[in-house]
Amino acid sequence: MIKQMLTRLLAKSLWKQKTSTALIVLSVASAAALVSAFLNLAFHLTEQVAKELRSFGANILLVPRSDPLEVEIGGLKYVAPEESAHLEEADLVKLKTIFWRHNIVAFAPFLSRLVEIEGNRALLVGTWFEEEIAIPAGKGLFTFASGIQREVEPDSGKFRTGLKSLARWWRVEGGWVGEDGQGVLLGSQLAQRIGVGRGGVVRITYQGRTVLFPIRGLVQTGGVEEEQVFVHLKKAQDLFGLPGKVDKIQVSALVTPDNSLAIRASRIGPARLSPEEYETWYCSPFLNSIIHQFEEAIPDSSAKAIRQVSEAEGAFIGKMRLTFMLTVALALLAASLGVMAAMMTAIFERRQEIGLMKALGADGKQISLFFLLEGGISGFFGGVLGYFGGLAFARLLAARTFSLASFSLPLSLQGVILFTTLILAVGLAVVGSFLPMREATRLEPIRAMRGS
Amino acid sequence: MEPLILSHELSKNYNGKVCALDRVSLEICPGEWVAVMGASGSGKSTLLNMIAALDLPTSGALWVDGVDIVTYTEEERVRFRREKVGLIFQHFYLIPYLTAVENVMLAQYFHSMPDKGEAEEALRRVGLGERLDSLPSELSGGEQQRVCIARAFINQPKIVLADEPTGNLDATNEETIMKIFHHLHRAGHTLLVVTHDPHIGQQADRIIELDHGRVVPVVSSQRSFLKNTNFTLSIPIKEKHPT
Ligand SMILES: Nc1ncnc2c1ncn2[C@@H]1O[C@H](COP(=O)(O)OP(=O)(O)O)[C@@H](O)[C@H]1O
Ligand SMILES: [Mg+2]
Repeated sequence: MIKQMLTRLLAKSLWKQKTSTALIVLSVASAAALVSAFLNLAFHLTEQVAKELRSFGANILLVPRSDPLEVEIGGLKYVAPEESAHLEEADLVKLKTIFWRHNIVAFAPFLSRLVEIEGNRALLVGTWFEEEIAIPAGKGLFTFASGIQREVEPDSGKFRTGLKSLARWWRVEGGWVGEDGQGVLLGSQLAQRIGVGRGGVVRITYQGRTVLFPIRGLVQTGGVEEEQVFVHLKKAQDLFGLPGKVDKIQVSALVTPDNSLAIRASRIGPARLSPEEYETWYCSPFLNSIIHQFEEAIPDSSAKAIRQVSEAEGAFIGKMRLTFMLTVALALLAASLGVMAAMMTAIFERRQEIGLMKALGADGKQISLFFLLEGGISGFFGGVLGYFGGLAFARLLAARTFSLASFSLPLSLQGVILFTTLILAVGLAVVGSFLPMREATRLEPIRAMRGS
Repeated sequence: MEPLILSHELSKNYNGKVCALDRVSLEICPGEWVAVMGASGSGKSTLLNMIAALDLPTSGALWVDGVDIVTYTEEERVRFRREKVGLIFQHFYLIPYLTAVENVMLAQYFHSMPDKGEAEEALRRVGLGERLDSLPSELSGGEQQRVCIARAFINQPKIVLADEPTGNLDATNEETIMKIFHHLHRAGHTLLVVTHDPHIGQQADRIIELDHGRVVPVVSSQRSFLKNTNFTLSIPIKEKHPT
């Protein structure tokens, strides 16, 4: 009966005072719409950027097998020196011959040593910038222990790849090192430190040998690369006296998220899967099955998953989100003032009612509960209204301003946004009603009632 | 008989200057109907608000039902209002968005438990059986005041305090309200009615007259049931009913 009375009281109060309720709902809704629109845009844009980065960034690193290669000669065991610490440049093309060859988006070799550059120590990195390579036909038919055969179309012809496709987010001022392989790409920090710019020349010394390189461009990456110097792989091999060798290879491969089979395979090792499971695992583009196939293709290599790009991506997206959040916070602050004002007016207008309730023997708790609930309900409806309003606005903005055709966020993210918006809306309305509420209940009932 | 209300040198100053009540001592017995009369600004409302625990005196003591309510905390004053008094004002304060019966139920809700049947019965007793579901805006002034009276009595308070209950009503409505008061008085309720209308005042058991915050002394024969009232200065007027 008490709950029923309270419900009736709330419903009537909200319904019979439509103008005041509408004003509060609208003011909360506009604040909520702002939050919802910003969150939707922030998540959507960062998601978009993340997707872009993810499809081009490296996610697999190949290095020489780390355990020393043991060679038996005449019953004696030798640990092969130097040679085993490198991969062969000629093996790179094999990456495009594995079962999942079509999912290999880009790769680049690296060969790095510390050098002297204009009297400063820095890492010189030899790599491919934009290399055109010829892909061999490779194996077309894969036969499995389970008896199943799978055919893969050859990824025939030419393939252009290198750092330019691997590190899409790098900002190069000037140009990449061209086809001719002449010149260097200088990390912007390093360039600043040694006081050189585009169009200049740098002197690089390695083990007594000095070579002059023209500066083609300066690069900003947001990471340690800004302290490094990039040259064509051939130049590095010449300088270091390591023809045909590379230290490591970074690969960008399109992968599918791990499922239970992929997780089991990484835990117990693919060799212990049943033949059927192995076949399924091998023929799914899991990160680990692609890694497995790389190690098959280049036997003296060790491949592993890396998060290098995710980190760069994370930092960038983090900044982007932060910017969005700060904007939302500021806008929200302004909007909450509006809500406060609306709540204050509404409650001020009802101070006579509050005085009457007090005179009738209602205690502060009963009155507060009533008005805070009323505020909360208005806030909730404002929040729902604002959420959808904001979503619609974000869609419109995405289509008009960012020319993004599709606008869809995962349901879980939408849930997060709806939840955040509602919590903020209800919180705003409740907090907004709290202060004027307290003022009103503090007032002596006779004084409150007398007031017009 | 134990007095229900007993005040001793009750004073109220506003802003340290205006002396709205000046050392008022009085006593009111259970079942009595007392009229508080006096010119405008003589302190009638102030006295009533004190007894309702809506306002605090500057000095003096005020016992209601055996307890000094001046010592009450804010919380206790709220509980006191809820449990001991029924209030009727000159302006018929009702919650505008609630119907007549809901307005009565609201007082039940603050007190303990809303009971629709009981609320409807109370409205029937003040002649509003047909207007149970009307909003205040749909009722005449007299009808609104009758809702207020039903609300004031719904929780069976020890005292009913009315501040110029007919001040805003025409003669016909005044008549109706006074009939209800007589009825309630016969049923044994204690009534304290503020008025400046002698016609209303004369219907009470006795009159307490205020002038500039002071009780006007009247020397007169005491009625039997006021024997114990040692220092109350009041006029028993039942016999002098006019015409
Ligand atoms: N809140 C207040 N502040 C200052 N003075 C007040 C206040 N309430 C009443 N008064 C003053 O106290 C005196 C008594 O007022 P009141 O009790 O309302 O008189 P009555 O009800 O007899 O007309 C008047 O002079 C009035 O101006
Ligand atoms: Mg008055």
